[in-house]
Amino acid sequence: MMEERVGGRCVRFGDSVNTDVIIPGRYLVSIDPVELAEHAFEPLGPEVQAKVRSAPVIVAGANFGCGSAREQAATCLIGAGVRAVVARSFARVFFRNCINTGLLAVECPAAVEAAQDGDEVWVDHREGLVEVAGRSFRFAPYPESLRRILESGGLIPYLKQVLATQAR
Amino acid sequence: MPTFVEKVLARAAGLAEVAPGQIVDVEPDLYMSHSASWRCIRALERLGTDRLYDPSRIAMVMDHISPARTAKTADDQRLCREFAARHGIAKFWDVDAGIAHLVLMEEGLVRPGMVIIGTDSHSTIYGALGAFGTGVGFSEVTATWVTGKLWMKVPGSLRVDIEGRMSPGVTAKDLMLWLIGQLTADGATYLSVEFHGSYPASLTVSERMTMCNLAMELGAKNAYVPPDDVTRAYLAERGVPPGAYEEVFPDPEAQYVRTVAVEVSQLEPQVACPHTVDNVRPIGEVAGTRVDQVFIGSCANAKYDDLVEAARILKGRRVAPGVRLLVTPASRQVVAQIVRDGTYAALLEAGALITNPGCGACAGDGGAMADGEVTFSTANRNFQGRMGSYRSEIYLGSPATAAATAVRGAITDPREFL
Amino acid sequence: MNLVEKILARASGRARVTPGEVVIADVDRILLHDLSCYLTAKVLEEEVRQPVRYPERVVVVFDHHFSPPTEEQARMLQANRAWAQRHGVHLFDCGSGNIHHVALHAGFIQPGTVVVGSDSHTPVHGTVGCFATGLGNYSHAALGLPFGKAWFRVPELVRIEVEGTTRPGVTARDVALFLTGQIGEGGMIYRALEFAGPYVEGLEVFDRWLFPLIAVDVGAKSGHVQPDERTLNFLAELTGHRPEAVRGDGDDVAEVLGWEVSGLEPQVACPPTVGNVHPVSEVAGVPIQWAELGGHGGGRLQDIRLAAQVLRGRHVHPGVRFNVVPSSRWVFTQALREGLVEELHRAGATWFPPSAGSNQAINMGALAEDEAMVSTHARNFPGRNGSGRMYLASALTVAASAVAGCLSDPREFVR
Repeated sequence: MMEERVGGRCVRFGDSVNTDVIIPGRYLVSIDPVELAEHAFEPLGPEVQAKVRSAPVIVAGANFGCGSAREQAATCLIGAGVRAVVARSFARVFFRNCINTGLLAVECPAAVEAAQDGDEVWVDHREGLVEVAGRSFRFAPYPESLRRILESGGLIPYLKQVLATQAR
Repeated sequence: MPTFVEKVLARAAGLAEVAPGQIVDVEPDLYMSHSASWRCIRALERLGTDRLYDPSRIAMVMDHISPARTAKTADDQRLCREFAARHGIAKFWDVDAGIAHLVLMEEGLVRPGMVIIGTDSHSTIYGALGAFGTGVGFSEVTATWVTGKLWMKVPGSLRVDIEGRMSPGVTAKDLMLWLIGQLTADGATYLSVEFHGSYPASLTVSERMTMCNLAMELGAKNAYVPPDDVTRAYLAERGVPPGAYEEVFPDPEAQYVRTVAVEVSQLEPQVACPHTVDNVRPIGEVAGTRVDQVFIGSCANAKYDDLVEAARILKGRRVAPGVRLLVTPASRQVVAQIVRDGTYAALLEAGALITNPGCGACAGDGGAMADGEVTFSTANRNFQGRMGSYRSEIYLGSPATAAATAVRGAITDPREFL
Repeated sequence: MNLVEKILARASGRARVTPGEVVIADVDRILLHDLSCYLTAKVLEEEVRQPVRYPERVVVVFDHHFSPPTEEQARMLQANRAWAQRHGVHLFDCGSGNIHHVALHAGFIQPGTVVVGSDSHTPVHGTVGCFATGLGNYSHAALGLPFGKAWFRVPELVRIEVEGTTRPGVTARDVALFLTGQIGEGGMIYRALEFAGPYVEGLEVFDRWLFPLIAVDVGAKSGHVQPDERTLNFLAELTGHRPEAVRGDGDDVAEVLGWEVSGLEPQVACPPTVGNVHPVSEVAGVPIQWAELGGHGGGRLQDIRLAAQVLRGRHVHPGVRFNVVPSSRWVFTQALREGLVEELHRAGATWFPPSAGSNQAINMGALAEDEAMVSTHARNFPGRNGSGRMYLASALTVAASAVAGCLSDPREFVR
């Protein structure tokens, strides 16, 4: 179950961060979040990797996650301890993969504008609010159907619940 | 007044009509997963059920790593084979078949009006046959295996009207690269891209595939070329009569988020430069750039027509010394055709290294580069580090440009050979 | 003196040599593949630090890779290319073929010479009457490359006389596998082998090839066939130049072993070792998921023609993937001209670039735990190809098994 407010220190990225950078293709032999986390952002070097592992929030520019449909791009971030990604905009498959793996993906250009690298960023997805260094920014909350998937921790856990209910 | 995608998603959701932005539950006609199907199977195990909604809608093609070179991949692929056998999944193709998208289209399984999801982002390619195709993550395909449905946000539509005649040596790939350069990598994010006008209508299905494939690099949700006699002939050749499908067309009064008009007569060969697909330049600006490797392959440009286009330039010539030319045909059918008509021999004699069909170097199955190396590729992605070293470079272009580049050892305008 | 003694005597500047003596011989040819070139070059550059004395004698063939799948492997090939260029040695890049087939086809192997290589099956070149053996990377780096020499303990020679006329469907490969099982893996340690007798002498050169090939598998140092008219004609056609050939004196052998092979059936070397040879009837029915023509023992034009015979009018079993890896570009081009590429493709086989194929599983050849492959490769030790089991056989048996979906006697498939 997802808490209402998640967040913490943020690490900032620019525009068009692609899925090959987020998780290089050679590591797709794994679907384990912990294993994948070791290689998240590997092309950018160990310092960036360390920053991502210590920051629960990623703040990014436009078209975050562009490129492949690899679901592990979201999984590796979850394994690295990322609780939310706040971006100007998302590539659509990456956004889907976030919902389906239980990773909060929020489109909020104003919040991105305001957040500096290292700032505290908190997201309340039910209210549709992003808090950055004391200021609040609104975003369109998820529709009911997507919220249920997200709050269950992803599509598979959600579906598992649904099937269990049907069985009864 | 609905666009193509509004009509096709409405039908698949069992609704009279839908509007952009609306979230609907869609029942896809076909769900494709490739050699990563093992991930879908593992997700199914987590789900704790073995009950599939409709195995006849499941298609699996082992294409990204073909064949296995590590024990783990061999085990993963065996898992896929066993799963397909156990569940009676007839639409299963093994590591010798070729690229999933091409195999499914060659087999006549992709038809106008269908809604298709795939574990590969370039599923947009199915628009070449007037179908809705989009990429999704593996968990979603698993969920669809079980429930037969998935949620989809109805996209807005972008209309591209393309007129004019291309000059010799300039191709659909060049047009798409130019368009991506103009609109940028998120120029069509979340949009359904419809290609209209006399130019797309003049194209073979193979070239329409290239267009719909590259549409993904605009961030599109799906792509579409209106079905016509060319489409019908392609399907008829594959034993699919018109009665077997229902063509879907946008309403003439359909509302588009944006309309772009393009005239192609003056278009020159284009090249996408490192390290993004939208970093596009006309060939003149990059000609002479030294390369170490040329890759002719991928679902964008490894079809029969693409290889013939390359062979036209390579025939009777040789790959430049110090350059590696890697050719990966899209499918078994393509191999059969190029062997029969001498294209295969021409490529081999020119010094090409022709691999077995599959995704090949585009997906990391070979073609890796060391520091400082440069590849000219006919694939659809050139992100930094995609083909090995983070300090290597990938340029993208058409098969003709790739062939010319292989002969000279540097990026070369193919028109010099025509 | 026998052929080996004559060659080693000439190469070490001696009037005569006898078994047991250690000689320092000039090396006429050094063969390195993509994996060993990297390791050897590293030792040469970092520890030995001498230039390559006779670069024209060194041949490097990238056969394990047809295209590197990882950055590390790409870096290795890049280093190899730079090294080859810096020293001016011969380089055959990816897609040229199997190292031994390439070296022979390109005219680098001549009778009467000393040929060394990093690959353990280097003795195969004895087919054309040279002394050929495998040496470790350090030997190449410390002696071969900088000084053009190697030390050898002169081996005893054992003559293997083979006679008989094999029945249809039984090939030279079957006879060679049979001998491997008969002689045994430790059977010929440190000895040199001379394959002779009317059966061997009646074979064309690329079938004789299969006999020196087994030298290392029975522990021998080298193996050869005395060069004759057939050998010289073969080389003349290949290179345009007809070489002189030295022949050994017939009586100078430590031992003569003989086999009559008329009654033989097709043979299969079963896991876990190449010496575990059984007649095909004893293993028929074992399910296989992979079949491969390629490697040191296969991928020859002969193999492709034999496979086509079996596959004509038939199809590869739906549960089997049949890989065809031509041994060289020449073979591939010829197979295309003969329509064999189309024929095998249509029958369901998959063509791969000329290379070592599944050998060492670089670009291909990893098997899952309960999978099995039958191939023309030369080695079947467990672990070489993932966790699966490797059976070694003739091209006919491989093709027949590919059709049947299990190990099969090919004689049921050919008239």
